Formats: sequence, C-alpha cells, structure tokens
Amino acid sequence: MFLRHLWLTDFRNYATAELAPATGLTAIVGDNGEGKTNLLEAIGYLATLSSFRGAPGDALLRSGCERAIVRAEVDNDGRVASVEAELHAIGRDRVLVNRQPLRRSRDLLGTVRTTVFSPDDLALVKGGPAERRRLLDDTLVACAVKHDALRADVDRVLRQRTTLLKQAGGRLTADIEATLEVWDAKLADAGERLGDARDELATRLAPSTAAAYDAVAPRPARVGLRYEAPWRDEGLATALAKARADDVRRSVSTVGPHRDELALSVGGLPARTHASQGEQRSLALALRLATHEVVGESAGSPPVLLLDDVFSELDGFRSAALLRSLPAGQALLTTAGALPPGAVPELLVRVQGGTIVP
Amino acid sequence: MQDLIDELGRMPGVGPKSAQRITFHLLKLPREDALKLATAIIEVKDKVTFCERCFNVSEGPLCGICTDERRDTHVVCVVEEPRDIVAVEKTHEYRGSYHVLQGAISPIEGIGPEQLKVKELLGRLDPEGVTEVILCTNPNIEGEATAMYLARLLKPLGIKITRIASGLPVGGDLEYADELTLGRALEGRREVE
Ligand SMILES: [Zn+2]
Repeated sequence: MFLRHLWLTDFRNYATAELAPATGLTAIVGDNGEGKTNLLEAIGYLATLSSFRGAPGDALLRSGCERAIVRAEVDNDGRVASVEAELHAIGRDRVLVNRQPLRRSRDLLGTVRTTVFSPDDLALVKGGPAERRRLLDDTLVACAVKHDALRADVDRVLRQRTTLLKQAGGRLTADIEATLEVWDAKLADAGERLGDARDELATRLAPSTAAAYDAVAPRPARVGLRYEAPWRDEGLATALAKARADDVRRSVSTVGPHRDELALSVGGLPARTHASQGEQRSLALALRLATHEVVGESAGSPPVLLLDDVFSELDGFRSAALLRSLPAGQALLTTAGALPPGAVPELLVRVQGGTIVP
Repeated sequence: MQDLIDELGRMPGVGPKSAQRITFHLLKLPREDALKLATAIIEVKDKVTFCERCFNVSEGPLCGICTDERRDTHVVCVVEEPRDIVAVEKTHEYRGSYHVLQGAISPIEGIGPEQLKVKELLGRLDPEGVTEVILCTNPNIEGEATAMYLARLLKPLGIKITRIASGLPVGGDLEYADELTLGRALEGRREVE
C-alpha cells in the first residue's frame, strides 16, 4: 500500500498542509520544532488512531482549534480510498472512508499500515517487558485487525478481574468466588488465544530479526528471540486456579499474558542487561525491520515506513546499513541535519513553522 | 460548578474530562434551555418507574408486556437494559416475557450480581413455571460474563438455558444490532452446556 496524498487541517502546528509523497523515499528536512515529526505522526494516526509519540488526542489539535482533520488518499493494490479522521476537542472523533462515516472508528484499522522507527526505539531492548509486549501486540494488529479486539478483550477482562480482587480485600466470599470464576474462564479463553498469537508471531519474527541484525550491525552475532509465557505449559485456566489463593491475598493478577516477556538475546546473553549499547541499538533496528517484513507478508504489501529522526542517533555505519536494508516500498524520513550518506530521496521537502516548502 | 461536574462524572460513559466539557457547554446555554433539560429529568423521574415483575420501564406497577395476556410466560428473555427490550421487540421473533437485570456484572463500575435483579429473576422461575431462560445480554465482555454467571447459577435448577447465537457484532451493544441480525441470533440461540 502507499499514500498518494495527505491533507492536514489544524493538526499540531499546521493550519493547512498538503503533501504528495513519492512512491519511494521522501525526505522531510527542517529544524527541530518546525513540524517534521507532526507529518509522520498524522500518517501514523490514520494507521492506529493514536499518536506514536503517545500524545493524548487533544494534544494533536492546533492550539485554540476545536477540530483537526487528517485526510489521505491511499492506494491498496490499485484500489484508491480516501480516509479521513476528524479529531474533536469536544465530543467523539469521527472517521470517514470514502466520505462515509464509520460507525466504529476502529473499523478503519488495516486501511493504512505503517512501520515507525523512532529515536525511542532503544527502549524496545532496554526497557521493561511491557515495551516488548506492546511491540508484539501492535504487530499482531497490523498483521490482522481481529487482534485489536482480542487485545482489548484481554485488557478489559484483566481490569475487571483485578478490580474484583481489590474489592475482595483479601477475603473470598461465595459471591465473589462465583464471579471470579467467570472472569477466570474469560481470561483463560482470551489469554490463551493472545498467547498463541504472540508465540506464533515470535516464531516468525526470530529468523527475520536475526537476519536483519547481521545486516545492520558492524559485527554479526547470534540473536535470539523467544516468547516466554510460563503458564502456557499447563494452560492458563490451570495456572489461574493455582494462583488464585495468592491473587486473592495480594489483590493482583499474578499470572497471564500481561506478565509475559519477549526474551531477546545477543550471543546467548540477555540483551537488556548484557548487550552493549551498540548491540542494543542494532537489535532495536533489527526488530523494527523484522516486524515490517512480517506485517508486509501478512497484509500482502509492505506498510509505509516512517523514519522519525532515526539517523541522528546512529553512527555512520549503522545509518548506511539501515538505508541499505530498507526494503522496497514507500518511506518517509525526517532529519534536522544533513541527509544520511547514501540516501537518495525521490522527493525532498522542507518544513518551516508549520508550512511545507517544496 | 464542581458539584455539577462531579454529578455528571457519575453518569455512565462520562469521564471527568467529558463532565467538564458538558458543564462548560451547559454554562453557555440560554436559561430556558437549561430549564427544559432540568424539567425533563424531573418529569421522567416522577412519571416513569420500573415494572414490579420484569423491571422494564413502566408508567404503572406492571409494564405493557407483563400485562399482555398473549405473551408466553414460560420463556423469559434476560436483557441488561429496558432499551434492549425495544431492540428484541423490533425483530417480531419473540412472544415470551422479559427480565431486565438493570446492568451487567462489572467490578470496574462497582456492579456485582447483588446489584443486579438476579434474586428477582430466581424468584420468578417457580411461580411463573418458567421452562426456558434466554440469555440476551450484550455481546461484549461484561455481557458475556453476566451470561456465563447466570448460566452457572440456573443450570442446576433444571431449566433450559439458551444464549443468543453469535453473529452479532462483537464488542457491540444489542441496541446497535439491526433487526434482521438480532432476529437471526435469537432464532439460532443455542443451549448453554
Ligand atoms: Zn414487566
């Protein structure tokens, strides 16, 4: 898929803006704070209906504005669709496909797919397990939209179960036990399905990540990637039953997909604690490249690559290696400095104070 | 003003941020529009009550469905809210009676079985000679959990327990399902194991 055209109204620091990205590489240059990343964020918003910087919805509206609009013309294998997201300061946001409002905004998911490289990606390796679970789940949703509902179900059941445990206050009455059993059954069902999907995805990501690592790292190394969910051996229903007394006593859900880990290793050692900063950076890039490949395979065509200011964080070797490793397809990169050596954009635009200068 | 924000924040689906927005919106309203809203709230509180038997909305002790002698009282369709009765009635597929739980199990909202009209449902089974209970709660997490809870509670009593068939938009509410889909889901209901 690729983006033919992007229009913004009152989005971040843009009053109005229009961009027709190249089908290959588009470079967006400009000083920091001028609005380069906002363009990528707008495209990312159409993919996930959220900001990849984690910004809340009303932070995306130009200051003082009641409504922001992000609209794009998208080409999916020759089928052109217009997608539009209206963000409101008051009331519900609206999403339109081919000018028809969607009943549920989430139905947009899957129409626009993006892979985002950001300077914060190091957290995928250095950060806590939640970062890696999010990577797995985001990738699952990008591969198949049905996973969005599955993830939401698991989150919701967990919140309900944990709230019930808190209300129980360490004591299990017959009433609470009867409802806890229902939540456990629901969690076992949805959790097993999410665990299976994550495990299958990790198995697919492992060889791609290893290959991508050797492509971007100065020195090749044996890279390992494995989904670790201790409860999967005995099954979540059994694991929850075993953990019940402990869960009730501590008022938390101690077992389940929300406690799992995507274990990463370099040269047989845990990457989070034992890899060098350089190895961690290479591994983060490799993970993004691998998810890009896997999503492309599942969806039938590669997502749009959004490279947000990543080259400033990379040394010359990794910059060049990343550029070489980028698969064919549409890519947009932002940079405050010079273009990385070897980058030959088909289109170069300059951004200044919320205006796109051709 | 904080009182109003707090009160609005207690409404279902209204978070603190929305409560604040609604309050500011109300501040901008002309006085007569604000009065209209206030009067409408009081009027509905005074005139409309809940049916003593099924907890549907009613302007008398019993609702229109409970007083209709042509309805089959051996089958009870259990729904979360009175508006779900409207949705099921629109299908023209159902001639039994109803029972409104007035919510679904949701610890987050402080709702457990004891906050719902569950005891009242149990109390209807024998006197009304109920042979089948259709669990017609919403096809979302809380609705499914409530259906499972009721099925486990009622199954040992030897009553036929059925659940509306899947095919409804998952994660949605009954009120959003079109008549045809809901009608089919009702017709294709399956006995709960
Ligand atoms: Zn009634």
